[in-house]
Amino acid sequence: MSRILTRTSLILLGIVLVPEWALSSAGEEIYQIEQGFKLIPAIIMIALLGVYVGVGFLSKVSETSGYWVAGRGIGKFGNGAAIASDWMSAASFMGVAGLLYLKGWFGLGYIIGWTGGYVLLLTLLAAQIRRFGKYTIPEFLGDRYDSHVVRLIAASVTVIIAITYATAQFKGIGLICGWIFGMSYSTSVLFTAGVVCAYMLISGMSGVTRNQQIQYVVLISAFLIPLWFLIKKAGGSGVLPQLEYGSILSGLMEGKVASGTLPPEGIEELRKAYLPWGMGNIYQFVALVFTLMVGTAGLPHIMIRFYTVKNEDVARKSVLWGLFFIGLLYWSSPVYAAMGKFWNPMGGKAVADVIILSAPELAGLGIVFIGYLAAGAMAAGLSTVAGLLVAGASAMAHDWYATVFKPDCTDQQALFVGRVFTAVLCGVVILTALNPPALIAQIVAMAFAIAGNTIFPATVLAVWYSRANKYGALAGMLFGLVMTLMAMAGWIAQIPLFGPEGLLPATSSALIVCPLAFLINILVSNITDGRVSEGSAAKMDNILRKLHNLPGYVEEETNAVKSPYTH
Amino acid sequence: MAVRHRVQINFFRPVTPSMKKEVAVARIILALWAFLSFGIPLLIWLAGLGDPTGLGESILTRSRFLGFPLHYWLVAQGATIGYVLLCKLYCVLWDRRITRHRQAWAKSGGR
Repeated sequence: MSRILTRTSLILLGIVLVPEWALSSAGEEIYQIEQGFKLIPAIIMIALLGVYVGVGFLSKVSETSGYWVAGRGIGKFGNGAAIASDWMSAASFMGVAGLLYLKGWFGLGYIIGWTGGYVLLLTLLAAQIRRFGKYTIPEFLGDRYDSHVVRLIAASVTVIIAITYATAQFKGIGLICGWIFGMSYSTSVLFTAGVVCAYMLISGMSGVTRNQQIQYVVLISAFLIPLWFLIKKAGGSGVLPQLEYGSILSGLMEGKVASGTLPPEGIEELRKAYLPWGMGNIYQFVALVFTLMVGTAGLPHIMIRFYTVKNEDVARKSVLWGLFFIGLLYWSSPVYAAMGKFWNPMGGKAVADVIILSAPELAGLGIVFIGYLAAGAMAAGLSTVAGLLVAGASAMAHDWYATVFKPDCTDQQALFVGRVFTAVLCGVVILTALNPPALIAQIVAMAFAIAGNTIFPATVLAVWYSRANKYGALAGMLFGLVMTLMAMAGWIAQIPLFGPEGLLPATSSALIVCPLAFLINILVSNITDGRVSEGSAAKMDNILRKLHNLPGYVEEETNAVKSPYTH
Repeated sequence: MAVRHRVQINFFRPVTPSMKKEVAVARIILALWAFLSFGIPLLIWLAGLGDPTGLGESILTRSRFLGFPLHYWLVAQGATIGYVLLCKLYCVLWDRRITRHRQAWAKSGGR
């Protein structure tokens, strides 16, 4: 009976995609996903959700007393998998292959941008952040610059990033729920919100890290397995798809696809996609790569990961493993994209969006595997949303409420405020996910621009430039934030300067803004050097001694509330 | 407490021996990182300047490596595999130059 529904598949996506779908329906039948309720995948997905919640619940019960000890005891593989799982969202699980399908070679900028950022993070920040050893990035900045205002701005930026980023996750999870349970988009967004809240409430924060390791295994195996079947179907030997798709790709540049050789205009299209500058010029490429890199190195929910490891040695090695685990996904996404072009060279966004979801069907892997894949994508989305909401809620509860607004509050009050903020954040995300302002993928890219223009310069100078003070940090961060928001507004208002062709594209603004934010921080810090009080300078120096293992560090007298939110 | 001199930290002017070593390691890694991230695209751009269509066809797009067009492989796999190796190199260099140095320092009663 679902046969009839197959004909009208993609209605789920139809709202956005109808024009392309109507134009390019020929040959698209192999990139379809079935609609309607799917019993077996639904059972598998619910069972895996049960496992996540169960694991979270068990770790919560057993770890309440030794929570911090346990939290700091995470090793390099475990933390590496958690970094990868935090990182690999529903968007990168489902979206990167589609992006590469549409943008060809130019899309590789996303891949190097999102991996190269970890090298920056590792060399410049990871070990020092671990040595600081407190709970949140706003707290780090606030302590280092000895300023509540810096801390509040950093907390606000963290919340903005959490909201924009989580919106994309909700869209991804909503897509999967809609696909498995046959719901409409709005229903599945609300259903998603229910699942996320239940997951966060029942499993608690302590379950999150352990779950992220399980979720990584589920998501990466679900992502990789169909490749071997697909490459065989495309005529490869099926040993290592990540290397074998090279010849298919070379064939594509000469117009060779599954159905034979394309006519000249088709070859022209494919050459445009796979030659370097057919989809954008060198400036746009470098600006995109740079923005994604500094954004990656400046994302608070990724940095927070380094607080939870045993020591700085493990912090370094977990970046190595995290990047390797992330690499497994990014070495494989282009294979899906090339396969998509091979079978359906002219498909538009309709094909791009379902490349991953339709892969098991195309590979003939059966209904059980489809459920597993959906659970993998769900795992990707859930783990990222959990990390984001934790970072966002702790920024509000720990950095704003418990430090600035009501410093004498009890642990319990802070915990309560944290729960309230988690719910509030969830609500805001539901609202934006129901009416997404423009393209989600681009909004995610803007979250990177914000992180790269504000948090990254402030953090790097905090660690590596002792003269940087609160005035410089404030000037630099405000400049970065205002410029990014202005570029975003200009992009929405379609001002050419901020458009994809402009000098300051909203999604790639960091190439210009980030170095300027560095410069402004340095200049203002030098000008205002004399205005920093003795006490303040002593406090900043003390933090710097701790960051760089210099002799003379004095343990602070602190009665600050421990944040129960970091994990 | 006696008045202390302010701590001087500058990535380009490291003071303590330990920090000098840290910064030296970071510089090596960052130079290689910059080459992978921006040097390779720039090479592809320079090589492709001669293409009148502006698409950047060049020796790099015509050559094949492991079956891939070279310009595609360099970015899709060359750079990303390079990043993982850079992280490994960083950990190795750190262990070799800094951890050992610290241990020796601690043994000699430096702390």
